[in-house]
Amino acid sequence: MPYALGIDVGGTFTDAVASDGAGRIVSAKTPTTPPQREVGVMRAIEELAAELSIEVGEMLAQTDFIAHGTTASINALVQGTVADVGLIATKGHRDSIYIMNAEGRTLGRSADEVQDTLRQRKPAPLIPKYRALEVTERVDHAGRVLVPLDEDEVRRVARALVEQGVEAIAVCLLWSFKNGDHERRVRELIHEIDPDLYVTLSCEVSPRIREFSRTSTTIMNAQIGPRLRTYLTPLQRQLEEGGLKGPLLVMQSEGGTITADRAPEHAITTVGSVLSGGVIGGQRLARQLGHRNVITTDVGGTTFLAGLIVDGEPVMAPGSIVNQFPINAATIRVHTIGSGGGALASVDAGGNLRLGPQSAEAVPGPACYAGGGTRPTNTDANLVLGILSERGLLGGRKPLSTELARAAIREHVAEPLGLTVEEAAIAIHEVQNAQAGDLLRRAVVQAGYDPRDFVAYAFGGAGPAHCAGYCQDLGVAEVVVPLGPVASAFSAYGLAASDVALSAELSDPSSFPVGHDVLAAHFDRLETDLQRALDRQKVKFHDVTLQREIDLRYSMQVNELAVTLPDTEITEASGDEIVERFEEQYERINGSGAGFREAGVQAITYRMRAKAGLGFPVVLPDIPEADGPDPSAALLEERSVCLDSQIGYVPTPVYDYSRLRAGHELVGPAVVDVPTTVVVVPDGVTGRVDRLGNLVLRYQRDQ
Amino acid sequence: MTSKIPGADEFTSRPMPRAELLAQISPSLPLHTGDDATEVNALTYEVVRHRLWAITQEMGETLRRMSGSHVVTESNDFNFSICDELGEQVQVGTYNIGLIGSMDLAITWTLRHRSDNPGIEEGDMFLCNDPWIGGGLHQNDAAVLAPIFHEGRLFGWTTAIAHQVDLGGPRPGSFDPAAQDVFGEALPTPPMKVVRGGVLQRDVADAWVRRSRLPHLVGLDLRAKIAANRGAAEQILRLIDKYGADTVKSVMRRMTDDAERRLRAKLETLPNGTWSAVGYQEQSRSGDRGLHAIKVAMTKEGDKLVFDFRGTAEQTGIINCPYPGLRAGIVFTMLPLLAGDIPWAAGGLMRCFEIVTDEDTITNASFPAAVGKGPFGPAWGSGNLVAEVLAKMLDAEPDHRTDVQSICNGTTDLCVVSGVDTRGGGSKGFVSPVFDVMAGGYGAQVHHDGVDTGGRLIIPSARAPDVEMTEYLYPLVALWRREQTDSGGPGRQRGGMSGSVCYVQHPDQRSSLSLVVSGTGKVANQNVGLAGGYPGNSQLDLVVRGIGDPQLASASAIPAELDDLGGEIEVLPCEGTSSLGAGDALYLHWQAGGGYGDPLLRPAEAVRDDVVAIRVSADAAREVYGVVVTDGEVDAMATAETREKLRRRRATGAGRADAAPVPVTEPALAGSRRLDDNLAVLDTTVVCTHCGTGIGPLAGGEFVGALARRDTAPTEAGPHIWRDPSVYVDAEMVFRQLFCPGCLTAVYSRVVPVDHPLPDDDYGSRA
Repeated sequence: MPYALGIDVGGTFTDAVASDGAGRIVSAKTPTTPPQREVGVMRAIEELAAELSIEVGEMLAQTDFIAHGTTASINALVQGTVADVGLIATKGHRDSIYIMNAEGRTLGRSADEVQDTLRQRKPAPLIPKYRALEVTERVDHAGRVLVPLDEDEVRRVARALVEQGVEAIAVCLLWSFKNGDHERRVRELIHEIDPDLYVTLSCEVSPRIREFSRTSTTIMNAQIGPRLRTYLTPLQRQLEEGGLKGPLLVMQSEGGTITADRAPEHAITTVGSVLSGGVIGGQRLARQLGHRNVITTDVGGTTFLAGLIVDGEPVMAPGSIVNQFPINAATIRVHTIGSGGGALASVDAGGNLRLGPQSAEAVPGPACYAGGGTRPTNTDANLVLGILSERGLLGGRKPLSTELARAAIREHVAEPLGLTVEEAAIAIHEVQNAQAGDLLRRAVVQAGYDPRDFVAYAFGGAGPAHCAGYCQDLGVAEVVVPLGPVASAFSAYGLAASDVALSAELSDPSSFPVGHDVLAAHFDRLETDLQRALDRQKVKFHDVTLQREIDLRYSMQVNELAVTLPDTEITEASGDEIVERFEEQYERINGSGAGFREAGVQAITYRMRAKAGLGFPVVLPDIPEADGPDPSAALLEERSVCLDSQIGYVPTPVYDYSRLRAGHELVGPAVVDVPTTVVVVPDGVTGRVDRLGNLVLRYQRDQ
Repeated sequence: MTSKIPGADEFTSRPMPRAELLAQISPSLPLHTGDDATEVNALTYEVVRHRLWAITQEMGETLRRMSGSHVVTESNDFNFSICDELGEQVQVGTYNIGLIGSMDLAITWTLRHRSDNPGIEEGDMFLCNDPWIGGGLHQNDAAVLAPIFHEGRLFGWTTAIAHQVDLGGPRPGSFDPAAQDVFGEALPTPPMKVVRGGVLQRDVADAWVRRSRLPHLVGLDLRAKIAANRGAAEQILRLIDKYGADTVKSVMRRMTDDAERRLRAKLETLPNGTWSAVGYQEQSRSGDRGLHAIKVAMTKEGDKLVFDFRGTAEQTGIINCPYPGLRAGIVFTMLPLLAGDIPWAAGGLMRCFEIVTDEDTITNASFPAAVGKGPFGPAWGSGNLVAEVLAKMLDAEPDHRTDVQSICNGTTDLCVVSGVDTRGGGSKGFVSPVFDVMAGGYGAQVHHDGVDTGGRLIIPSARAPDVEMTEYLYPLVALWRREQTDSGGPGRQRGGMSGSVCYVQHPDQRSSLSLVVSGTGKVANQNVGLAGGYPGNSQLDLVVRGIGDPQLASASAIPAELDDLGGEIEVLPCEGTSSLGAGDALYLHWQAGGGYGDPLLRPAEAVRDDVVAIRVSADAAREVYGVVVTDGEVDAMATAETREKLRRRRATGAGRADAAPVPVTEPALAGSRRLDDNLAVLDTTVVCTHCGTGIGPLAGGEFVGALARRDTAPTEAGPHIWRDPSVYVDAEMVFRQLFCPGCLTAVYSRVVPVDHPLPDDDYGSRA
């Protein structure tokens, strides 16, 4: 029996999923074991084998591949626990990374923060200035060498950095994405001095115009690459020694994978791996459920993450921001849209109730956890409202203190606003939903889509308790709460189910009409490049799909729009067709009449994306069917719950998820207790258990 | 309002009482006043408020996505607002705040002058770039005003405004340092209907772009602003559909009322008094050698502020702004300094201050004064002075000292480069300001150094382009762009560094490029320090002629310093034109932030860290901070000696050579009330917080006369101050310091003309 494994190494837990491709999926959860995270990974693998009732060696010998994601790199960047890195820059331009285009004060900050001008500072520099050195060389905008590389100076500079004890060197020279010869020569010269030193070149890790973000990306790659190497090398060795048949693949932020031996070199492309795992999981589920357009919402304790799947594919972004520094690495666009279950509720100076952005985090946690927290959170409100039970979650976590929750809400919200504790609790619950709903809607609309064309998925510990509320104003057709065998390890499931995605691009700014021979030649070259890259993955692929894209703009513009080419042969008519597609897409995003053909249209970057299935169907199994829609066999208890400020507390049925069957229908108000979460079905909403065990919520107004 | 040109005064706009405004709007235009609105619950309020906020953010994204202008896509010089039916701004963006500082005035003008003919109807939009009417601060700022109708009534407005690189006039960039009057600049255009019934009017759009050297860019930006307004209107109407027009209007009213209430509550907690400041515009136009004063006295009483600009110089040359510019100058300083923690429902915030001004001055100029320099000349200059008086008021209230900030980069360093780009065998005309200068230094705060190359106070989301973008767009090669060591104003907290950039022509460039330069702060520093902190660097713009390696043609090395370039230095004036040829280099060194507190009180370790991080040179550490750093470590003994020596030198310079400085002991001074970092009031006497010396009575500012005073050459302030003021102006310039007569701690340090008045502040309620 062949297996596919997904392993998600989080900050607290390592989640793992194994699928046999024939409908059996098992999951495991073990504590993460820093700094030797490979220990926890091996334990999770042992647990999977135990669930499957086979020996570890036996399982590994039949494992086609392991898809792996880790938050270690992103956490190291966020916390600054990274390798000491030196930078080599073009003479006169060392300070790019310090000037930060003057936007360092506000990059990645919310609008409220930006407005609070006096409090915004630049982040601590990525590296101290004395470890950022310059070398004489100059290339121009066309890639032509204006001043040759001073090799003696490079040797001096490299030696100085090595003597400072750096663990890695980042090399970022101006215009290197047009001509990388100088950067490559710098690496050779460094390796003459120290052959093992980890060196990152900007022309390899981020071949894009704009030196600030390219330098930032290159430095961050060098900061996390060496340690990713020291983690993956022993892990891979242990797995191989354990008999692993297929490759160890590392998930990338853009949703594809890279082999473990090449991952350290491109470490920066893997930082969003776990976040992307959730979106990929959503994509796979969508495929099974037949949904084309999905908004995935992953609400944990501290964050609320949203991703978009459009026409079956995740929406991508060309980069992201960490600690106010930009990362140029294609990524599945994950919107951090505010706060999760642990968001703190407060009343601001103007008498407005606010939720977040601060969170109670794991320590001290919500007041009701009795971990020393005294400020009220969403979770505390949910306890007072009866959504959560005092005995805690069914999964056996510790009991919750209503008394502490009430005290926190009374002091910080109820009294300042002149409300009762109960009124304050429902206000917190509803403001959280309204706030999240607004941000969610904005994320969807900004990406150019109408939420009414979507369904929403809600997972993560706090998603199911709020999703009916925060999705209400979105206008989505239905909200799916995935609750099958991978409910608690949805990201790991996404990892196991991922495809290999690769892309290649070339830059050739030119104005339309562009000859069809030129178009064809560019894409032929890209296809050859991609094929070679796929070969390096050492995996058997099935159904490799290729997609061609051109970044286009009106000739005076600076920002481009990526336009996908139709999947047909390039002919003489292709040029016109491309321009038409561009204008159509442009007007869809910017409004009709916004186009400006008089200005002319330019092609800037040609790109080809390859998507290759891993030859392994990771599908969720069906659950047993119910006799009829009546779920009373699963009734756990009836308790007084408030889900709506207009209705107040009413006796509400609480169902035990493990006793629900496909076809059961729940009429709101109702609550479902699941081992790892709670699902809220408010008044006016019905929930149906689908064949995979998911709870599908629909608003009655739509029925 | 007193133009000598008959008919010109019609094209002005000032705030007016609501009833008066309503009386001037055509009865054929029905207004949605929301008078029958009921109370909105907290939840709906929050939801609608958040959505209005989100809508202005989306407008920014639309504009940036569509624009072709370097100014918009790379530097965020634009803004947006959502307004009520009478133009009061309910929500504004965090981009260039100056651009919304008088947007309401443009809308009220439109209501008064367009409501009966040609009419204001559903689907219309108006285009305006008349600085007397409002919206923008000079003709380059072009606004599109869009009325929103609901059920046939005017519900509100959205606005989108952006700087356009060129809208015609005699010089590329539309700004002429030699202009005699506005007829020598780009044409101001009062609101005209550019979109009618949802359709862009081709004749109007053509008349608009035809004036420009960059018609395609201007055409794209026009469409971008229209699209931003259209998107916003759609979303506001969706909001109205869901919650009802009266509810949305109630939320809008409550937002402005709430912002007003919060600002007034903050003002109530601050001391009453009157604080004054005087600053200068250097050179009124090409060839002028004068200094032209702007004066402000801010009186705070109870919950309101009055800014009195009387005594400011008469309008002259090109350094003028009409009334909307002056108002914007106050707004773009007040919002970040006083309202960072209050939502920017700007209409409510604007109710909290009044302006008193003479007519026909450089900050309230009448038609047809040249006003192309309005925003970065007199408006920004006024803003710096407003920042100074606000800081002095805030510093006197312990709970608000975290809001005190010395002055940021005093203005932009404008250098418009234009010509024909001949790279790659082409010939394409281009015009663009150099935008590296956006990376100005921030002023120091009481508890923090200023942010190095942090951007602009008045554009919270300011951005400078990547060098690669500049080189991609224009035929230039940057020899360097760097943070400039020693540029930050010295102080107990150091001002943020500025930077410098040096360009040569690209090797393929075959023709000379024209330069238009403008910038004040080359001799009378505008980036002043507070509480004895020193000013940031003097702005310095140079062309170096006949450099060793023209266009890097045969270079094997890259010059890293001005001295490495070879050739002759030509100092560019405050206002003038020049050229950049094949054998030349252009050097721009823009402005840093001012320091806070006396640099002799900066902890030696902090100075050492600055030296290690190349923010301060070892020489300046010794000469200005009195800290001796050897091999990356503080030499404690030498530092103590040097600091003592510097205090004695101050005493000598102040004519008190015989008295040894009193030691700095930071006495407790129980029962005193602090005025700033150095001074406190004990009973009615001002005392030094560092040595306890009683200085003199606070009443009537008598203590100022008792401070030790020294006037020296400007370079005494440090290596960052320009050595020879006579290159620019006739006035005698000095570095003036006032010291505690006991310990010789600096309480005031400015580079000013010798006849500059002494501080004249009335700490009314602290006396």
